[in-house]
Amino acid sequence: MDCIITIDINTSAVKIHAFDMNGRMLSWKKGSYPTFHPQPDYSEQDPEQIFITTLYILKNLLNEYIHPKKYKVTAICFSSSMHSVLAVDKMGTPLGNAIIWADNRGIKEAEALKKHPKGENIFNTTGTPIHPMSPIVKITWLKNHDQVRFAQTYKFISLKEYVIKQLTGEYVVDHSIASSTGLFDIHQLKWNQDSLDFAGITADRLSEPLSVFNTNLFLKKEYCFTLGLPAKTTLIIGASDGCLATLGAGIVGSGKATITIGSSGAVRVAGKEVLKDKKNRFFNYLLAEGYYVSGGPTNNGGVVFEWFARQFGDFSEDLDFEDVVNDLFKEAAQVKAGAEGLLFLPYLLGERAPLWNANARGMYFGLNISHERKHFVRATLEGILFEMYSIGKILETHRNFDSIYINGAYASLPLWTQILTDMYGKTIHVNDHHDSVALGTALLGLTQLGVYSNLEAAASTVKSVETYQPNPKNHEIYMKYFEIFERLSHKLKDEFEQIVALQQGI
Amino acid sequence: MSQFILYQGKAKELSYFPYIIEFANYKIQNIQLNSHEIKASEGIKICLIVDGKFDWNIDGQPFLLYPNDVSLTCSWQTIGSSKGAYDIGALMWITIKPLHFEANGELVLGEWSSISETDQRVIGKILSLNKKPVLTRLKACQQIFQNIEVELFAKELGYRTRVNHLIDELLITAVRHLSKQDNLRRDFPQTFLKLEQTLRENLSYPWSVEEMAGLVGLGTTAFSEKVKAVSGFSPLNYLINIRISEAIKLLSRKDLSLTDIALETGFYSSQHFSSTFKKLTGYTPREFRKNTD
Repeated sequence: MDCIITIDINTSAVKIHAFDMNGRMLSWKKGSYPTFHPQPDYSEQDPEQIFITTLYILKNLLNEYIHPKKYKVTAICFSSSMHSVLAVDKMGTPLGNAIIWADNRGIKEAEALKKHPKGENIFNTTGTPIHPMSPIVKITWLKNHDQVRFAQTYKFISLKEYVIKQLTGEYVVDHSIASSTGLFDIHQLKWNQDSLDFAGITADRLSEPLSVFNTNLFLKKEYCFTLGLPAKTTLIIGASDGCLATLGAGIVGSGKATITIGSSGAVRVAGKEVLKDKKNRFFNYLLAEGYYVSGGPTNNGGVVFEWFARQFGDFSEDLDFEDVVNDLFKEAAQVKAGAEGLLFLPYLLGERAPLWNANARGMYFGLNISHERKHFVRATLEGILFEMYSIGKILETHRNFDSIYINGAYASLPLWTQILTDMYGKTIHVNDHHDSVALGTALLGLTQLGVYSNLEAAASTVKSVETYQPNPKNHEIYMKYFEIFERLSHKLKDEFEQIVALQQGI
Repeated sequence: MSQFILYQGKAKELSYFPYIIEFANYKIQNIQLNSHEIKASEGIKICLIVDGKFDWNIDGQPFLLYPNDVSLTCSWQTIGSSKGAYDIGALMWITIKPLHFEANGELVLGEWSSISETDQRVIGKILSLNKKPVLTRLKACQQIFQNIEVELFAKELGYRTRVNHLIDELLITAVRHLSKQDNLRRDFPQTFLKLEQTLRENLSYPWSVEEMAGLVGLGTTAFSEKVKAVSGFSPLNYLINIRISEAIKLLSRKDLSLTDIALETGFYSSQHFSSTFKKLTGYTPREFRKNTD
């Protein structure tokens, strides 16, 4: 029997799945690797460790499942997280670790680009919000602060490109990953000269951009041999995880949106056109040629609830972290919508969409003497979800959507889904798949292989297993609180700045 | 019992225990200048605060110690009062001199100890990597100290065996507490990240699962399960990942021989390195090096 393998190189782990030709998942494995923070603002990963972990996991999946069951691998399709930058020398040897999306060292460079006469144009051409996460900003940082590395660099590539270079010997990047660099013209599908000028590089210091469906890539024969794969096994270059999660949620087409909450979060829509927002609050990334995924990312998803659990959870019985988190959910469920007047701003990590304010900070508001711990639990959860609602609300001014599909480790927890449903006042669907990125990657690969006629057809095979209906009463309550939430978030701009100045002075 | 300080070679109570350098139950009623200057401890020194509040400097860092806190220092660490003199209060301490103890963690306690050789290695490793020399609220130590004192002075039947056992127990209690206090169960991913950093800093060392588990204060079963859940790998396979990742980096440095790289990244030999490397990457290290030429 035939199968397709998907490789997703995400922030904390590589996940490798096998699917049959109908998009049914057969088996999967993951292997994790760490993020290093040599300085508070820095987030880095070891490219060799990521490559070795990928190989190791791929080999295990093949040897323990695919080969014993006599599956034939028709193709391997790739996904990865966006925005990483790795400098390599002429030999392809990494110059230091990769700088990943969460790295904030380029705050000043991002501000400079925003104020630059061509800044707005660069944003509109490339679709990538101007932010320290963006590779154009990171490369500019290297130019300004690490001239030796900058001069030695033969190419600036992403972690996905590094893994593919190792496996095939080629420097190539798919249009989807390229569209998240701030360096790529998402309309004309080529490197953008204004961006290159700003970063101080020429196009030959980047990989060759290719269609996400590109298959003109082959595993080196040594890998075919050690992995037990036939010579010339097809590699499909694939796309970025955010775009593939959207495809995997089945929302290609109008009237649909998807909400993802893992440790961070995003609200996304997908369509044939870019989304234009006067305040530049949303990204436009390419899922495939002619398909744009637009939306807003938040820094403050599950990671904020984990922070809360660590500080205030009850560990007295030597419980494991997951148990403590679950106990907190039970506690939150006992409090009515609105947490009896306690409101939480979740901006512990600053915020991207919709505020785009790195200085935003968290706050509990409305505390009175009758509030108990359980109210804090509920308010924390609601604050995180108000933020997901605030992105969707602005997105809705550009695109109508009636159905919302949900994915990610946190969003699909029943309590979370119900609160979101009540906030939005719309039906929310939970998809029948534990990993939308893997499914999206498989659907893209299967479309390339001709199983589906196009991405819409592929997306239509995604089924939801559970539907949540809004409670109108709660919706009304949430809307009243949201008004305060939104006003506070904007009103406190000056105070956020002042408190951050004090925090940074410590 | 009244206070005392027993010194090896002077106190007859210690004559059967040549590895005990000092054993003391000491009360400070008035402050005496220069009574506790900062200097290196001999062997392994375990000091329990019985009463009072002490302002100490251990290995260049200031610490405030309260009753039931225990300081644990080795010969390469300095310890003393920040002001050079003991504060008012009461202390008990013991200093033992292992047969062999190096700053890299190699530890042989001596014939008297019934702790297994493997466990002694783990204890040595934990002590050598210890950056927090104060164990807070370790109540269990006081009873052990008191029992040692009673046995030493009463000299009842079998007291020599008992004292040896009690000192083993004191060591185990202190080291277990040490490995647990920094690694709360609430956050294994964080603990695991710290462990990874330690492993990377000591990659040439032949880590065993017992040692890795000991470092983070878990039993080997729970440790292996948690590592598998977090990383997808068994602890030893995870370690191989790190070893090979580091080796790939070193391969681009032409001044290093394959044997150098093998030993630096913790393989037994260049053969062991080559076969593991080939199994994982499909290339021998030599071929891999050629590819990056």
